[in-house]
Amino acid sequence: MAPITLSHEEFLKFREFFYRKTGIQFEDSKRYFVDKRLIERIEATDSGNFRNYFITLRFETSGQELQTLTNLMTVNETYFFREEYQFKCLVSSILPEITALRKKQGPIRIWSVPSSSGEEPYSIAMYLLEYWPGINLWDVEIISSDIDTKIIAQARRGIYSDRSIQHLPKNLLEKYFHYNGEGYQICDDLRQAVEFTKVNLMKPSDVRGYREFDIIFCRNLLIYFDDLSRRQAADTFYDALNPGGFLCLGHSESMSRVSSLYQVRKFSDAVIYQKSMEAQ
Amino acid sequence: MAFIKKQPEKVIEQCERKRERNCASFELQLSDPNPTARRWAARDLADCLDSSAALVAQLLREQNSSVREIILTTLTKLGDEVAVAGLVNCLRSEDAALRNEAIEAMKMLPDEVAPIMSQLLQDTDSDVRIFAVNVLESLQHEQVEEWLNEVIEHDAHVNVCATAVDLLGEVGTSYSWEALENLKARFPDEPYISFASDLALKRIRGS
Repeated sequence: MAPITLSHEEFLKFREFFYRKTGIQFEDSKRYFVDKRLIERIEATDSGNFRNYFITLRFETSGQELQTLTNLMTVNETYFFREEYQFKCLVSSILPEITALRKKQGPIRIWSVPSSSGEEPYSIAMYLLEYWPGINLWDVEIISSDIDTKIIAQARRGIYSDRSIQHLPKNLLEKYFHYNGEGYQICDDLRQAVEFTKVNLMKPSDVRGYREFDIIFCRNLLIYFDDLSRRQAADTFYDALNPGGFLCLGHSESMSRVSSLYQVRKFSDAVIYQKSMEAQ
Repeated sequence: MAFIKKQPEKVIEQCERKRERNCASFELQLSDPNPTARRWAARDLADCLDSSAALVAQLLREQNSSVREIILTTLTKLGDEVAVAGLVNCLRSEDAALRNEAIEAMKMLPDEVAPIMSQLLQDTDSDVRIFAVNVLESLQHEQVEEWLNEVIEHDAHVNVCATAVDLLGEVGTSYSWEALENLKARFPDEPYISFASDLALKRIRGS
């Protein structure tokens, strides 16, 4: 049987479809990456060729195959305490400001998206326990979301390689992890501290319930989006944040060319974006 | 530890119960007194293919910038003829913020804006022609340089040509040499045109 290949037109057709569904845009340079994964799924589903597979992808009511393919197409590379300066900013500047201005009861709510395999939300939880005295006074709710259901399952298991934990201080590794033969597993208390959920930021029905957050971490995701999808994400975060809420982006990302809804806050540790206190 | 958990889905259910959810109801909610409801209506209308007219109408009367931004995002996503015509109409607005927002939205619609670009660049209002050149500033379309050349070769208004020549300094190639030389000849008494044309030529030759 002849090997399965994709024509340029088929690649373009898939790229457009996948972009509309997920907001993720593949440049021409990613052709090999995309082809490899598409062919893998064409074979796994016995579709025989791209045309048959694409029909399944488009019209399957359950959306299961689209989810499987999305899981394969997303990049999930991160590690504990990545861009730590923002966590420093969180405990030294952002949280003190939020708690000082807080008028209502209820927990401080943090949304970390994308969760990837959990390194970021668990880092936030660890950082709060270690470096923020306010954790003894305030309830904190950490919700972490991703479009990739497989990676969410991995995040819930919380088992990590040497590479993931390489930047963790040794005392924290010893305190919060144990080696289980397969890797370093994060302790149950921390695993239970984070709620993992599946979210496609481009789907209004997915994000409708995500509201009243004080802080959102969305780092190194917007770089994979095109201008319009970035704008949609910015709009979504705006409604997810409380007035005065903070949005933390990756070091190479900026909100200034994406949306005019946020104010830039320059703290000593990091530049963070803030929804106006007066926002309705 | 003081970490707690609450399922976001519970909040979703509460929100879903509150309002009807179809295209007609979203259009009605565009005029809800609550800006959050208007933002959500504008966002939900992205799935309603015939909603551009309602969105454009709301855009023109909407005072809240956060609602306007989401209306513009949805119009950009829809990108149909009504949406593009609505954005073009905003270029004629007295509201500078709205004009700039429309320009930013149009920059994200290269394929949809391209068919009307020549027409925009020949608009009777020189301000609209300047805004059209502003759209070209980061429009990812292969005809950008060609359109700019049309402007500097034929537009009679010095400010329109000045805007175009500034941009040619960034995006121009040897294809624009002749048009730039001709521009200087067309406006011999305008020192800025000479200066900007020479600068563009220098940048092009140096690149």
